[in-house]
Amino acid sequence: MTWTERYLTAVLRSIPPSKRDDVERELRSSIEDGIEERVGAGEDRTAAERAVLEGLGDPARLAWGYTGRPTYLIGPELFPIYRRFLARVLIAAVPISAAVIGGLEWVGSGTLQWAIGAALSGALGVAIQTTFWMTAFFVFLDWAGPARQARTEILAAAGHWTLERLPKVSVGRISVGETAGEIVAVLITLGILVFSTTLSTTSPYGTHIAFLADGFRTVWLPILLVLVAIRGVDYLRAYTAGRWTPWLTVYHSLVHVAFALLLVILALSGWIVNPVFGEQIGLPALADGQGPVMQILALGTLLATGWEILRIIFRARRTGDRAPQLGTSTQSI
Amino acid sequence: MHDDELLGTHRQELRRGTVVLACLLALREPGYGYRLLKTLESAGIPSDGNTVYPLLRRLEDRGLLTSEWNTDESRPRKFYRTTKAGKELATQLLADVTDLTKSLRSLNGRS
Repeated sequence: MTWTERYLTAVLRSIPPSKRDDVERELRSSIEDGIEERVGAGEDRTAAERAVLEGLGDPARLAWGYTGRPTYLIGPELFPIYRRFLARVLIAAVPISAAVIGGLEWVGSGTLQWAIGAALSGALGVAIQTTFWMTAFFVFLDWAGPARQARTEILAAAGHWTLERLPKVSVGRISVGETAGEIVAVLITLGILVFSTTLSTTSPYGTHIAFLADGFRTVWLPILLVLVAIRGVDYLRAYTAGRWTPWLTVYHSLVHVAFALLLVILALSGWIVNPVFGEQIGLPALADGQGPVMQILALGTLLATGWEILRIIFRARRTGDRAPQLGTSTQSI
Repeated sequence: MHDDELLGTHRQELRRGTVVLACLLALREPGYGYRLLKTLESAGIPSDGNTVYPLLRRLEDRGLLTSEWNTDESRPRKFYRTTKAGKELATQLLADVTDLTKSLRSLNGRS
């Protein structure tokens, strides 16, 4: 089989049968014309054939030219709609499915680590599935003949772009109220941590039994207090700057993650509460890292941290680089 | 190297729309694929077979070209000819290109 035959076979494979004969005949004669001219100019026939076919390029591309099919997956018209749509569905679907899957696993196995693992892998699975099917749907919309009507209707429904569709930008600085709320939350957290050191019960022998484990109170609690205090300072710095700068957002998130990880590890290791205290008040599982109280504490910490980091990131985006100028210099619009 | 690439990309963009016009104009005289390539090349509008061959069929599907197989010679060849609709479109497009060139010249002269 010659190179020309193989090339023609490769092109014709993707051409509708009704047009195949005609395209083959024409393309064959065009290729022959090209070879003939090169041979006439003194070139070796094999080399001429190679040059002509390689000049025509990838047969799949040539076939796509004949069939008029697009050489992209999602065209520029649909792409913005696709992106917006996908982002919205992912934002809604991934956290919800993570919570549901994690919750079910927790109820089923009763182990927090497994529940977190299931939530993470579940969220990843949902994200991949959603992205795949959404993409497949839009590719179908752009490619398939029968979908042309639907495509036209979707584009019409998306309608003309107007100014009202601009994403909302917060025009103001971070408000006093918001910062005050954040500071109060920090103070309450500090208060709870400090207050917990004063809790104790009395043994039948009359000795004091502290609520907190000794190691936690002397080593870890001060570190946690410092981390919470740093968060308070962050809120004040953001208020002074008028916005969450990228660095401050990253730094604040890291402090948050450090706090959460430390607390979760301590809770799951059972190092926070004095075990003797639990036994004394009739709740021996209180201090246990595998017990319900410590697990709820760990899970609550993780959820609260995730929520706070998301909140700050969204806040940073809303009060992004352009916001301060908008609020001050072009107030009139 | 980078500049050549940039020039190539922009040149390609600029020429993309003119290949249709060139084909419609050239094929007022009936011609087949390979000869058309040569005609365009000698007219200073070099194009690739993988662009022009499929393009001829699409223009035919839209009624801007008609085709006929000529089997008189040793090798059968498909001859294309610009239709009346094709000629009208070509006239319009040619006027547009001329206007565009004029506008660009005057912009260039102004600065």
